[in-house]
Amino acid sequence: MSNILSALLLALWAYLCMTDMLGTSFFMGFRPLIAGFGAGLIVGDVQTGLMIGGTLELMALGVYNYGGASIPDFTVGAILGTFFGKGGNYEVGIALAIPAALLLTQMDVIAGMINNVFVHKADKFAEVGDVKGFDRMMYLFSHVPYGLSRGLPVFVAVALGEPAVKVVGTFFDTYPWISNGINTAGGILPALGFAMLLKIMPVGKFPAFLILGFVLYAFMDVPLVGLALSAVAVSLIYQYTKNQKMEA
Amino acid sequence: MTDKRVKIEKADLMKSFWRFILAFQFGWNYERMQSVGYCFAMLPILKKTHPDPDDFKEAFIANLNFFNTNPVVGAPLILGAHIALEEAGASIDTTEGFKVGLMGPMAGIGDTVVWALYNSIIFSIGSIMALSGNVFGPILVILLVFFPYMAVRYWQFMWAYEQGANLLSSLGSGAFAKITEFATIVGLIVVGGFAPSIVSLSTPIQFSKEIEIGGEVVTQVVEIQAQLDAIMPYLLPMLITFLAYWLLKKKNWNPIQVIYLLIAIGFIGGAVGIFA
Repeated sequence: MSNILSALLLALWAYLCMTDMLGTSFFMGFRPLIAGFGAGLIVGDVQTGLMIGGTLELMALGVYNYGGASIPDFTVGAILGTFFGKGGNYEVGIALAIPAALLLTQMDVIAGMINNVFVHKADKFAEVGDVKGFDRMMYLFSHVPYGLSRGLPVFVAVALGEPAVKVVGTFFDTYPWISNGINTAGGILPALGFAMLLKIMPVGKFPAFLILGFVLYAFMDVPLVGLALSAVAVSLIYQYTKNQKMEA
Repeated sequence: MTDKRVKIEKADLMKSFWRFILAFQFGWNYERMQSVGYCFAMLPILKKTHPDPDDFKEAFIANLNFFNTNPVVGAPLILGAHIALEEAGASIDTTEGFKVGLMGPMAGIGDTVVWALYNSIIFSIGSIMALSGNVFGPILVILLVFFPYMAVRYWQFMWAYEQGANLLSSLGSGAFAKITEFATIVGLIVVGGFAPSIVSLSTPIQFSKEIEIGGEVVTQVVEIQAQLDAIMPYLLPMLITFLAYWLLKKKNWNPIQVIYLLIAIGFIGGAVGIFA
């Protein structure tokens, strides 16, 4: 497959992932696990897609743009990482995915600012009661800035990037400490996701449950599904005893 | 004013619902966030409930006000109840007040239940499967997104429409508070366990010293990580997570600043060899 064709298909995939995030939410395509999986299908290397997507997903677990906060673009990171990591170059893929995700954070901000245009256009349509014009804007244009904010970087990077990536690959072989640094950074990045989750949860009110979860995993090695089920059980017991007290 | 109430048919509801599904956050912008998507979903209803062109324009304009809430748990509920209010002939002040009053609390509930709790669980399980080379990792996640998300959005929308003006008292009746509390507790336990399972940080530092035991020189190696594990397993991952939490919560750092700090710590630590 020529690079231009791959670039086009991957850019379309990125666009579709964004459209799904904004609208349908049918498959959460903007999450790195799904974006990487789709990219793996497109480039014909599903295993690399799974590895890159899975790795980035664990880094970005719980990282969502709560209330419109900007977050690294792991969607594009997973797609580019899968493309450049295909054929057994996982290390190169992951090493490129993280900086790409960070560099492209600003694309999200730019798209959200460009979109201010739509709200002003909408005001004009509303003043004259022009539903058709408004609908046309929504169907045809309102998804374009976000779609292109991901589609264009993917297209450019894939169409032009392969020679540059070969250089990067040999560079990493020469200086292994860079890979060590990136891998260690990748290992602690999920701390952000958990910190963001804790920030929106009432930790101060219910510290006991947080400690309980930690103890179940860290000291008792309960696997994740078991942990989730225990959590449901504890929560049910808590509410049950609370109700009993209130009735008594 | 004469009674101009118009009956909303099932077909109108479905039209509004599908517009919501297709494009709720299309055109999301910093100025008014989900406003155009919300308006887009409401238009088929507004056209019916405001047959007078001037009335309609006024409602069209009002529905472009600032709006932002969770798109999965929150938005469909507000939309459904708003349609019922429109059908009952509520004034624009009433409907706009209702939207503003509900969007904040619903965003808090939706973000916690959908993003923080549900998604974190299914995506971590899916990722762990994917990392062992299992194609069903992402496929399972897609199934666990598609069907529950559709169901939860549809039910909420229809339930809120049927509740209509009673929605606020239904929400206040405690059932909703109970669900939120339930989800919060599950979320905290899960986060407490997931954090150490996924954040990885350790130190390869070790000291060796030569000591004399009964005339013989023995090299004794002290691994720092083993010492830390003896104090508490996953001590370093927990410290780094609480550092990030403290910076976000108490120091008002934004996520991007935190990410750069984490990368700096990890990259330098890993490159120099004090962390792995």
